[in-house]
Amino acid sequence: MSKNLRKKFALVGLYLLATCLLLLMISPYLYMLLQSLAPWREVDRVFIPSSLGLHSYRWLLGGGLSTLPRPWLRAWGNTALVTTTVTLSRVLVGALVGYALAVLSFRGKRPIQNFILFQMFYPGIILLVPAFLLIRAMGLYDTYLAMILPGLVSTWAIFMYANFFRSIPREVVEAARIDGASELRIIFQIMIPLARPVTAIVFLFLFMERWIELLWDMIVVRDPSKQTLNVLLATMFGPYGGYPGPLYAAGVLLTFPIIILFLLFSRRFVSGVSLIISS
Amino acid sequence: MKWQKELGGWLLASPYLLSAVLFFLIPLGWSISLVFFDWNLISPVRTYIGLDNFREALSSTRVYNAFLNTYKFMAIIVPGVLVSSLSLALIVHHLPRLKQFYAVGFFLPYLASGVAIGLVVRGLLAYDSPFNEFLRQVFGSSPRWLRDPVWAVLVIGFMIIWKFSGYYALIFLAGLQGIPRELYEAASLDGAGPFTQFRKITLPLLYPAFYTVLVLAVGLCFGIFTEPYVLTGGGPRFATHTWQLEIYYQAFERFRAGYGAAVAVFNALATFISILIIRRIVEAWGARRGFR
Repeated sequence: MSKNLRKKFALVGLYLLATCLLLLMISPYLYMLLQSLAPWREVDRVFIPSSLGLHSYRWLLGGGLSTLPRPWLRAWGNTALVTTTVTLSRVLVGALVGYALAVLSFRGKRPIQNFILFQMFYPGIILLVPAFLLIRAMGLYDTYLAMILPGLVSTWAIFMYANFFRSIPREVVEAARIDGASELRIIFQIMIPLARPVTAIVFLFLFMERWIELLWDMIVVRDPSKQTLNVLLATMFGPYGGYPGPLYAAGVLLTFPIIILFLLFSRRFVSGVSLIISS
Repeated sequence: MKWQKELGGWLLASPYLLSAVLFFLIPLGWSISLVFFDWNLISPVRTYIGLDNFREALSSTRVYNAFLNTYKFMAIIVPGVLVSSLSLALIVHHLPRLKQFYAVGFFLPYLASGVAIGLVVRGLLAYDSPFNEFLRQVFGSSPRWLRDPVWAVLVIGFMIIWKFSGYYALIFLAGLQGIPRELYEAASLDGAGPFTQFRKITLPLLYPAFYTVLVLAVGLCFGIFTEPYVLTGGGPRFATHTWQLEIYYQAFERFRAGYGAAVAVFNALATFISILIIRRIVEAWGARRGFR
């Protein structure tokens, strides 16, 4: 009896600990949210503001400082546009190429596979400067395409899909072929629906990664009307220093959409992560 | 029929091939020639200077600081993130219900942009922030945080530990869930207490997860950019300067394309060699203990 009771107490303690840690982990987000809603004279002066309001957001969406106006809302749109395009393409190309490598047999498959591995392990930092030069030589400097084009294909996504498709019994594909289905039909009507757990995890990780990209977007785009929100925010640390409230509001606009998106898909997430580790 | 099959394969693979040629092979070739030139990105004149870029990088105190700081960050981040992610995983693993809820919650920091969290950290550590007021009331003084070379490294290291703990915890969690329950039951029948069980069963069987997290965390330290870029600019006195900051500064602020590319080569080499050495050490340690 007393052993049982002790166990119960330990369990309550464990939940208490877990909840405290959870609050600690998300406290920076809560702080950001509260400060973005706080009256300006209280921002960064008190933890819990005396009143909450949307004035920081209104100021931000009105263009910000009149001496240094910035298109904050548009920057959010830029982030969404670039991230969505890049991620959708990465997922689609990942599935197509992954299928070709895992299911089809053609000469050149082996070298392509090896090359993908080589590219995955090649240190990307070496390519930063020449990739920028290439973008400039193509006349794409300061355009949306500069942020989008180099990111349309992810070797990691290809790798993940190829791994998954290899685990699907060959009979599935053979049977569909006998029924006269074309390869594209097999991909879109059989394989991609089967790969939903992979798609969820690949999409989420690639989306999150692209949403907060800084270095590349900062290098290839200078025009504030094309900058992503992350870049715009990074460049405003100095000049907007006296307006922390609106900067927190911009931080919320940058952070909370992706948290919400993640939470919507999170049901499959924890089990999905093991897919990444096992490969 | 035969050629159709061939064509189909190549067609499906073509988006990858196109992007690999354009955004991997061409820059790769370009990087090889770039490092031998002195070029300011604009002028039509490029001067061939042989290995001078590498020589300059080797004797540069900026590069030396970036090199050294990486290991400073590593000394904080790697143990910190290992302990915190393993702790989070153990807690989640022992919860009978709501595992998913807590695991997802602990993962949320991973979604944070270093820029947005930089704002929070800057606000929290500002001289007259409520946090510092509190410290001054209790201890009589507050650290200079980002303007102190030691604290600045700790703060940025802590930000990175915070961000990755929940992610790595999922790797440990998968490892924990792969350990058969019978092992614990058998050990418990043999009279092993929870602590012994943890040391003799959990830790050895978590070795693969431990290895994965360790290699990921070490690699991470070579790519630090956002946090010091927004918070310290690499200061004070280069205490938080990193490889990527140096490459960005040289290539895109001073427009020294060749020199920046040469520093990037050293960055890649340092990363590669360090990871190789650390892997060897951990593998040897694991083999001696009979882990796999």
